[in-house]
Amino acid sequence: MSRLLQRQNSPARSAAIAASLGAAVLLPVIVNRGLLEDFSRVFVLILAVLGVNLLTSTTGLISLGHGVFVGIGAFSMANLLDQNIPVIVALVLATAVAGFAGMIVALPALRVRGPYLALITLGLSIMFPPIGRRLGRFTGSALGRSVNVDGFDPPDFLRLDDHPHIWNYVVCLMVVSVWFLLTRNLLNSRIGRAIRASKDHEHAAAAFGVNLAMAKTGTFGISAAMAGTAGALQAIIDPYLNTNDYDWALSLKLYTSAVIGGLGSLLGAVVGAVIYVGLPWLNEVLGLLDSPSLAFGLGLLIVIIAAPNGVVGLLTRFAKKSARSQHDG
Amino acid sequence: MDLFLQRCFDGLFNGAIYASLALALVMLFRATGLLNFALGEIGMVGGYTSLVMLTPAAVAGSGGGFRFPVAGTSLASRLPGHPYPILVAIAVGVIASALLGVLLQRIVLYRLRNRSDFVKVNATIALLLALAGLVTEVWGGASHRYPSVFPDEPTDYVNVFGGRLRYTTLGAWAVQLFLLLLLGVLINRTKTGLAFRAITSNAEAASLVGIPVQRTLAIGWAVSCGIGALAVSLVAASTILRPGMMVTVLILAFAAATIGGLDSPKGAVVGGVIVGLTQSLVPGYTPFPSELAVVPPFLVMTILLMFRPTGLFGTSRVVRV
Repeated sequence: MSRLLQRQNSPARSAAIAASLGAAVLLPVIVNRGLLEDFSRVFVLILAVLGVNLLTSTTGLISLGHGVFVGIGAFSMANLLDQNIPVIVALVLATAVAGFAGMIVALPALRVRGPYLALITLGLSIMFPPIGRRLGRFTGSALGRSVNVDGFDPPDFLRLDDHPHIWNYVVCLMVVSVWFLLTRNLLNSRIGRAIRASKDHEHAAAAFGVNLAMAKTGTFGISAAMAGTAGALQAIIDPYLNTNDYDWALSLKLYTSAVIGGLGSLLGAVVGAVIYVGLPWLNEVLGLLDSPSLAFGLGLLIVIIAAPNGVVGLLTRFAKKSARSQHDG
Repeated sequence: MDLFLQRCFDGLFNGAIYASLALALVMLFRATGLLNFALGEIGMVGGYTSLVMLTPAAVAGSGGGFRFPVAGTSLASRLPGHPYPILVAIAVGVIASALLGVLLQRIVLYRLRNRSDFVKVNATIALLLALAGLVTEVWGGASHRYPSVFPDEPTDYVNVFGGRLRYTTLGAWAVQLFLLLLLGVLINRTKTGLAFRAITSNAEAASLVGIPVQRTLAIGWAVSCGIGALAVSLVAASTILRPGMMVTVLILAFAAATIGGLDSPKGAVVGGVIVGLTQSLVPGYTPFPSELAVVPPFLVMTILLMFRPTGLFGTSRVVRV
């Protein structure tokens, strides 16, 4: 995040961003409905993975509980929509609820050093499904609940009434873009510098007047809010929620995908989301393993040992090498 | 009063399990300065190995009724004397986990020896996922009954002022105290224990004065993971053996170790008792639903950490910029 999210205005970079945005905009015209819905799901996951990515890359903290914030976002969204609140307002509120929940979790955990946050968040992700099953109508208990998305119609001038999936896709794309811009601007502000300083040299940063607890709690809150937005969007795309889906395996897979994709870059979050969806899919198509968690675990191990900056780090290194050899030749 | 005692005894049984796993975590923390998130799953491999050792191939092979076949039993049945009694089976499981621990230390953690703590913790998280997947892959998702070492009939209890203190609880605590004694001797009375402390405080200096760093770390991993397998056999005997069961247990053991202070064996045992008791007493006396019994220990841990970041018996460290 620190490097790739900074404003670098090289022409190649701008061209790449413009090309991928163009492709994303053209996508609804090219692919069929099922595939477009899958793309929406991947975009939403990018947001969740980006949340984990942001937290770990800027503060070095490990959260094994971001699945919980995805869940909080999703159930908040469902309940807000019950009150006939406009979807966009509900989205913002659900995000805020998840972010606030994140700050509450982070506050006590950050008073102590070491991997305690990993521990507390893993505990949280274990507790979430049983707690959710007891929340009655809020979560639909053990059976789950449906989400009332009737009010979520595309505006008339778009003439998308017969294509709600395209409208879903457009909204997901816009929300993800907004989050990306917000993150980039935040990290380049005074607060962002303080956050990065506190990772590089905690005590030195504290000595220079950075409020460590505030910086870390704030970052955790933002990353939890991102996960919450992801959950809220998921609730719109697939309007049926079950508290059992937000278990520790989800949180662990989110974290693993973020690290495998590559910490500290938006592209890493994109790759991470693709891995999150693609790895189980590939496994199923090839019929290799009963449980994809073995693949996730081994993937993370390989990345830790062989590619410290994730898949993206590997690609960047490869690209640089080939650019240099072209230059020499 | 009877009910109170009964709840305490129930809590003490779980407390023994948390305490033993917490001891294993503390042991590894003393030796390597690392929190091992994969400990439960490494123990699971040993637990399933012991299940293979004690399940007769004929029963396993038939697969009828509600007993699911156990992968590997037909292979193990070629060993002389198979199926083995429970004690032998547990011993084989403990050895399997210990060997797996050494193997992982050699293959994975050795490669990461010069990397940051963050990377090492990540490696144990990866191992947690990979081994959980491996166990499901090899032995399937079915639940298996697992015999108890100690008499476990409904009548096997001592009556203490109206509360039923079950033999299994007494047995678990006997195991627990034995482990505490063993680790106490290992850490405080042997050269290996001294080497643990030397390596944690400064690995490079330790190797310069001739301490065999990798061999010492391997011993740390072996002992810690062996205890993990022992804990799995206790948990499985009290409930059932199924994949994924150790995640919740391990997280509570982490809570116990944290409450006690991560580097204190005594603290691990006290922490285990505290976690076990809060888990049984809080739902017993408050409207707190019992299926959420995992929550109160965490609240206790969080509150304690806010006031004593080093836990009850942990040593605090001075950090220099």
